[in-house]
Amino acid sequence: MTIFSADPALAPYLALVLLGFLPSEVWRVLGVAISHGIDEESEIFRFVRSVAAVLLVGVVVKIVVLPSRELAAAPLWTRGAAFAVAGAGFFAFRRSVFAAVVAGVATIVVAVWLTGR
Amino acid sequence: MSADAQRAEPLIDDWSWPWFFAGVRRALAGPAFYVAISLMGVGSLARAAGFPVGVAALSTLLVWAGPGQLLFFGASLAKTAPPAIAFAVSLSSVRLLPMCLSVLPMLRGRRTRLPVLLFAAHFIAVTVWAESLRRLPDLERPARLPYFFGVALTCMGLTTLSTAAGYWMTGTLPKPLSAGMMMLSPIYFLATTARAARSGVDWLAISFGVLLAPLAIRFIGGGFDLPVLALVGGGGAWLVGYIARRAA
Repeated sequence: MTIFSADPALAPYLALVLLGFLPSEVWRVLGVAISHGIDEESEIFRFVRSVAAVLLVGVVVKIVVLPSRELAAAPLWTRGAAFAVAGAGFFAFRRSVFAAVVAGVATIVVAVWLTGR
Repeated sequence: MSADAQRAEPLIDDWSWPWFFAGVRRALAGPAFYVAISLMGVGSLARAAGFPVGVAALSTLLVWAGPGQLLFFGASLAKTAPPAIAFAVSLSSVRLLPMCLSVLPMLRGRRTRLPVLLFAAHFIAVTVWAESLRRLPDLERPARLPYFFGVALTCMGLTTLSTAAGYWMTGTLPKPLSAGMMMLSPIYFLATTARAARSGVDWLAISFGVLLAPLAIRFIGGGFDLPVLALVGGGGAWLVGYIARRAA
């Protein structure tokens, strides 16, 4: 972080504010500004809700098909299997998020343990 | 009314501690632990990039968006130019905009102040968004804001501690456990979104996401894959619902 020439102990904090906090917070502030005219029952609210849901699913799929670091140790089919088992747990326990999380995570732990070196 | 009397008016009307603690309990029943565990990796990455532990913990308080934090520390580790870091972080946080737009109208009452909304918006990231979508519609409007802050502050507080814990625990976990930890948040995100689904349109949006995401990731580059996916898939799901409502 050579561009921050002030007190070197503060440089990483300044970098976090300028390069991490502000670039992401701007979207939340924009959200507050725009949301002012949006009613809970309006079509634009329904539209944005769908967009946000698809965006979230996209983030999930991306983590699974393009895994980083430790998760890459689990072969793709085991990552797929973990989601299948999580789905089974979800519906078996009357749409339980907790059952899905436990079943899916357990699957991937066992898979990496069995396939890993 | 005198200026003094105006200043004495509370920032939030109808604040309810019982609803606040109901939110705290909800967070402690799962979500706060899910997000706390999944952000431990941010701490270990911050350490690898040579940052002090204070910056790691502060990144959770200030950025409060996993992908943005990972990008910030990952890009710093790779000695990326500062403007490029800021751009990458900002691009990864575009998703916060639709999340804010789909939560804030539920929180806002007729007299909710701007500073309160700005403060609330700061906590909106995938975990708090997903819980809000699932729980807020069933609550009376005065209960929503305290409940929201109960969930949000608990999630962020626990995750700030876990980010610091992750910083110190780097490399001490066996491989299968670290892989399981990284799988936790995607499963939780998908399951809680499915739990929050209230209509055929919600399920349609989830299905479009699952079917179209691999295509978008494969064929659209430059970090624009997810925004394009969301507009096409989400727009499509909304359109189907709109036509169905018109026909009904």
